[in-house]
Amino acid sequence: MASAAQSPAQGGSPTPQEDGREHHSVALPAGREILSRLISLREGSIIVVTIVVAIYFSANTSSFLTTANFKTLLPYFAPLALLGAGEVFVMILGEIDLSIGAMYMFAPIVFYKLDQAGLGLVASMIIALLVCMVVGVINGAFVAIVGVSSFVTTLGMLFSFEGLSLILSHGTPVATPGAQVTQTEAKVHHIVNGHNIVLSEKINHIGTFAKLFGGGVYSELIWAVAIVILLQVVLTFTRWGLYTVAIGSNKLGAAEAGVNVKLVTIRNFVLCALLAAMVGIFEAIRSQTIQPDPSGPNELLLIAIAGAVIGGTLLTGGSGTVVGALIGALFLGILDDGLILQGVNANYKLFYTGLAIIVAMTANVYVGRVRRGHSGSG
Amino acid sequence: MADAATPKTGVVGPTSAPDDVLRVEHIAKRFGPVTALKDVNLHLKKGEVLGLLGDNGAGKSTLIKILCGFQKPDAGKMFLHGQPFEPNSVDEARAAGIETVYQDLALIDELSVYHNLFLRKERLHRPVPILANRQMKREARTALDEIGINIPRIDVSVARLSGGQRQAIAVARTVNSDADIILLDEPLAAMGAKEGAQILDLVARLKEEGRVSIIMILHNYVHVLQACDRVSMIQDGAIALDKPTAETSVEELTDIVVNEYRRAREATHREEAARPAGP
Repeated sequence: MASAAQSPAQGGSPTPQEDGREHHSVALPAGREILSRLISLREGSIIVVTIVVAIYFSANTSSFLTTANFKTLLPYFAPLALLGAGEVFVMILGEIDLSIGAMYMFAPIVFYKLDQAGLGLVASMIIALLVCMVVGVINGAFVAIVGVSSFVTTLGMLFSFEGLSLILSHGTPVATPGAQVTQTEAKVHHIVNGHNIVLSEKINHIGTFAKLFGGGVYSELIWAVAIVILLQVVLTFTRWGLYTVAIGSNKLGAAEAGVNVKLVTIRNFVLCALLAAMVGIFEAIRSQTIQPDPSGPNELLLIAIAGAVIGGTLLTGGSGTVVGALIGALFLGILDDGLILQGVNANYKLFYTGLAIIVAMTANVYVGRVRRGHSGSG
Repeated sequence: MADAATPKTGVVGPTSAPDDVLRVEHIAKRFGPVTALKDVNLHLKKGEVLGLLGDNGAGKSTLIKILCGFQKPDAGKMFLHGQPFEPNSVDEARAAGIETVYQDLALIDELSVYHNLFLRKERLHRPVPILANRQMKREARTALDEIGINIPRIDVSVARLSGGQRQAIAVARTVNSDADIILLDEPLAAMGAKEGAQILDLVARLKEEGRVSIIMILHNYVHVLQACDRVSMIQDGAIALDKPTAETSVEELTDIVVNEYRRAREATHREEAARPAGP
């Protein structure tokens, strides 16, 4: 029986195989070109996906497309956009910075300590940011000069500085300096059924400092948009950005051409640390408390990296955009918010986020291939 | 480095000329137990194209790496325009006017043709240091036209170019600089006849201009005789032949290599004969 089944298979096998292959290559052309054109815009795929997701949630939940919901979305995506913007500069180099979680946690504690020491709000904040920039220098120096992998270096820094944060704060939450809410009473006139009624109402006030640096409703959004635009200009239209891409694309080649690889690497790690520290302080002011708990920052740093990746930045380096990271953050924000509004179980939420990252990453690999012209269709 | 190795018999001595732009004397380089260069003497005249020949492992690339400042010689002296020349880095050699096209080309795939051409020499708007992309595009187009390289679009990434076009861009980058000495490490490697011809045409045009002097490593004798003014052949870490191409021929160059192989074979036979017979 075995021999009987084998002989026709042996005789007939080459022809159907060749047939199948030809069908495959002929069937694909027309629609694929349009698709590849659309998504070869670097952020193209994620823009399309974000709009589709937003439309889906708008159609399915009445409360999605409201100002109130937009306001709840903001604190989620603005910090991610800022963290992602810094991370993009490091990721284009082909490196990664995991220590942004630690800077996010560490900066507000330094800020608090310095303010307690009587330095004043603005000076304390600036020094806290500078301290974190020094950590960025150390990160960059280990990667660029000593030659330790950035994953290992920044993982070590992540744990060290989260640990240091716990030591300094004794693990106790404190109220963020300058973020206290004061209440005043005001007499408000109402006209009810033609009668003039005066009621006293309580009005919340936050200080100007807090309003500017994270406390105001749109404060973080304005910072995020301004910084993202600035950094996108730096990335696209300055030597700094050009060298960042050059190093990520061909480190040896960039060095041979005379690019100062060490300087650019260190500078990008400093930028990344600075933005993470800023977000840390902003968030501490917004929430009015400094929580010395590493679990939040650890999750946030990974989501920020996910946002950058979804936004079209390659982990392998050489390619990425800051605007992409902002859109990636917006996408994750919308997904998170929309799923909550739809009453989706929190466990599913994480699952969908994971799928979104994988789908976006696959799209990016494809887009990269099309742009480089390596694939058959490009 | 101060005490130069004494010249050995059978080695071509340094021939000094007043118009030498580059001269190296008694260069030696070892990598652990391996002697890459024993005693190399080489000179390059202004506007000259020197072809560097030699078997694999003869020391051609090592010599190029020493000249471009990537490695330091163990012994010997180098002179640039008659002045002692001891580059500590590629940057120093470049500042002195020596540009190198490495075998890996050092192109940035993700960047456009014109950004590659202007890497580290970017044109900027002032006072805000924003890249003057339009100006760079225009100048890149002019520069490429001048040296006769035909690239249809200069705003695409270099990853999209063919091997020959990439090589041409890498060469154009050095020509576009202030360099007066260009080192080409196997510019025709992995290239078809049509693309190779483009590169040789480019070298010929540069030779006509007479502004730059070129040392290039080649493998094909016909190319050497066609494109170079003079040929130097490295054998066993020393210059075995140094002649104007007009005075040599493919036959002579081939003979040297054939003899080298015969000597190597005889040496192997002698070793085998000397070895005690095994069980």
